[in-house]
Amino acid sequence: ISGLFRNVIGGKVLTKEDLAKPMRGMEEHLLNKNVAREAAVRLCEGVERELIGIKTGTFESIETTIRTAMESSLRKILTPTTSLDILRSITSVTSPSQLNPLPPKPRPYVISIVGVNGVGKSTNLSKLAFFLLQNNFNLLIAACDTFRSGAVEQLRVHTRNLKELSEREGLGKVELYEKGYGKDAANIAKDAVTYATQGKFDVVLIDTAGRRHNDTRLMSNLEKFGNFAQPDKILMVGEALVGSDSVAQARSFNASFGPKRGLDGFIISKCDTVGDMVGSLVSMVHATGIPVVFLGVGQHYGDLRTLNVG
Amino acid sequence: MVLQDLGRRINAAVSDLTRSQNLDEKAFDGMVKEICNALLEADVNVKLVSTLRKSIKATVNFKDLPPAVNKKRLIQKAVFDELVKLVDPHAEPFKPKKGKPNVIMFVGLQGSGKTTTCTKLARHYQTRGFKSCLVCADTFRAGAFDQLKQNATKAKIPYFGSLTSTDPALVAAEGVAKFKKEHFEIIVVDTSGRHRQEKDLFDEMTQIQRAIAPDQTIMVLDATIGQQAEAQSKAFKETADFGSIIITKTDGHASGGGAISAVAATHTPIVFVGTGEHMLDLERFQPQPFVSKMLGMGDMQGAR
Ligand SMILES: Nc1nc2c(ncn2[C@@H]2O[C@H](COP(=O)(O)OP(=O)(O)OP(=O)(O)O)[C@@H](O)[C@H]2O)c(=O)[nH]1
Ligand SMILES: Nc1nc2c(ncn2[C@@H]2O[C@H](COP(=O)(O)OP(=O)(O)OP(=O)(O)O)[C@@H](O)[C@H]2O)c(=O)[nH]1
Ligand SMILES: [Mg+2]
Ligand SMILES: [Mg+2]
Repeated sequence: ISGLFRNVIGGKVLTKEDLAKPMRGMEEHLLNKNVAREAAVRLCEGVERELIGIKTGTFESIETTIRTAMESSLRKILTPTTSLDILRSITSVTSPSQLNPLPPKPRPYVISIVGVNGVGKSTNLSKLAFFLLQNNFNLLIAACDTFRSGAVEQLRVHTRNLKELSEREGLGKVELYEKGYGKDAANIAKDAVTYATQGKFDVVLIDTAGRRHNDTRLMSNLEKFGNFAQPDKILMVGEALVGSDSVAQARSFNASFGPKRGLDGFIISKCDTVGDMVGSLVSMVHATGIPVVFLGVGQHYGDLRTLNVG
Repeated sequence: MVLQDLGRRINAAVSDLTRSQNLDEKAFDGMVKEICNALLEADVNVKLVSTLRKSIKATVNFKDLPPAVNKKRLIQKAVFDELVKLVDPHAEPFKPKKGKPNVIMFVGLQGSGKTTTCTKLARHYQTRGFKSCLVCADTFRAGAFDQLKQNATKAKIPYFGSLTSTDPALVAAEGVAKFKKEHFEIIVVDTSGRHRQEKDLFDEMTQIQRAIAPDQTIMVLDATIGQQAEAQSKAFKETADFGSIIITKTDGHASGGGAISAVAATHTPIVFVGTGEHMLDLERFQPQPFVSKMLGMGDMQGAR
């Protein structure tokens, strides 16, 4: 980045004109990294506002000022605003005893995964399952994609694999809840949660069918789904490969659960396929202010990371 | 639909300019800038946009235009030509031949829509009188064979695959040999999703390709893809030398500029676009009518 600012001379008060050219360079740099134009323009405006009127020191200090300004700007939008410690919030629901004088009836913690077609919902749900099994939770996976061919079998295979893995290593237990194809997803989700409450599962992970965010019929189904399943966390999977559409995807899904409910976090998948072009992550967070909970970095169960802003 | 908003914006920029009273260089620069912003917002490759900007400026060469010349026509044509260049590689797409086996192999990134599109394509040819079938060479993804099987069954297309094998090249070869013996004319082979950063996956693609010697390899690209489109499609081109592109999910909101940049990067034609999750949601793609329609310039094709 710093290379772009070489032609800013030291020792003067920065004006909009001084910054115009390097700022265009910065914008192009962000676009190149796959940040959506809307987000890139706003980020640059922020940095520019910060820098106008600042007196530059030596050559080094201009570079540092500019880099620091962009970094802090990025850090500000990427740093989560809510507690991301998913494990802690699960425990507070499943075993509320220590904290709460009047413990509510024990119930499973419900996580549902949503997103557009093919982004990696089912795969990352399975990775999340693996992570939770390693932490000795008992899981129910609910197959609520009743539309796409093979969706149920896909989760059946994952559940079988995960079961084998956790039995071998003495981790939590995992089971699949499925009702085949063609049925109403919201009803299955509700039944799955009831089943999990009776069976004393700690967590229900609900997979959903992929849907285009501009398909109003499928999007409106999400509100009913949210009401029926009452998820503690709704996570949206967005892929690192996606371009400018990321902004509209994030906004539409965030708005689809009705006025009282939004998304709780993103899982950004396929980060391993984009090298350092991780801009879609910036765009999605920028568009909604919702934090990134996990990054998907591959196709295997262990390929799930938390975001390190540094 | 893909590039529709872009078309609208570009059109607006061109007609704003040509309608304005003083068609001066500053106004022209403004138009070029607006077009470039629209392209960037549509995910067209950043470098490509900058080439296009220079190209439009050079062709029109506003400074040296004699006052008498029809500027509007000239500018419109320059913009049209540059956009056609984006989607038209001037390469003839593959045409399957009746009475012999045509093996078509699908490749692409994870989740781009290969498996779904495989069935759509096999069905497309089936209804045009080709004896068509499907081979599942995705032995990696959970439920991949079930997915293909369920789609094929719905479309009443014969299929082949294995629930237990872990060698995609072997399964592919077996399936193709079997269907060739049975005199099938269109044999579509589905493969796992892969990406250039993982060399093993690319090696696997080469092995499958060697095992079945396809008459045509098709790369499937998601219309929502951003700036990675160029690098990924170039890498697939170098390794698998695909001869056509299918763009999926064009029913979405995305502009498709990323996917279209892949055409320019690999000089490979788009042959079909996917327009939905259902079996019939597949349309033929032709570059020039597409751009004409997008810019609402029905007459431009004749002018070339
Ligand atoms: N390289 C890579 N591939 C991934 C990642 N996450 C998922 N995938 C792959 O992406 C493809 C699609 O994943 P799925 O989990 O089926 O996606 P989905 O969103 O459930 O798809 P639909 O249910 O059809 O909408 C599969 O081939 C996965 O292996 C990731 O982090 N990295
Ligand atoms: N809206 C829409 N969805 C599509 C289209 N084509 C495919 N899909 C959906 O995209 C998702 C992924 O499609 P798949 O066919 O499984 O993708 P794939 O490339 O085979 O995935 P992998 O084998 O995991 O790499 C599914 O949910 C499909 O229904 C399309 O043209 N429009
Ligand atoms: Mg799925
Ligand atoms: Mg597939």
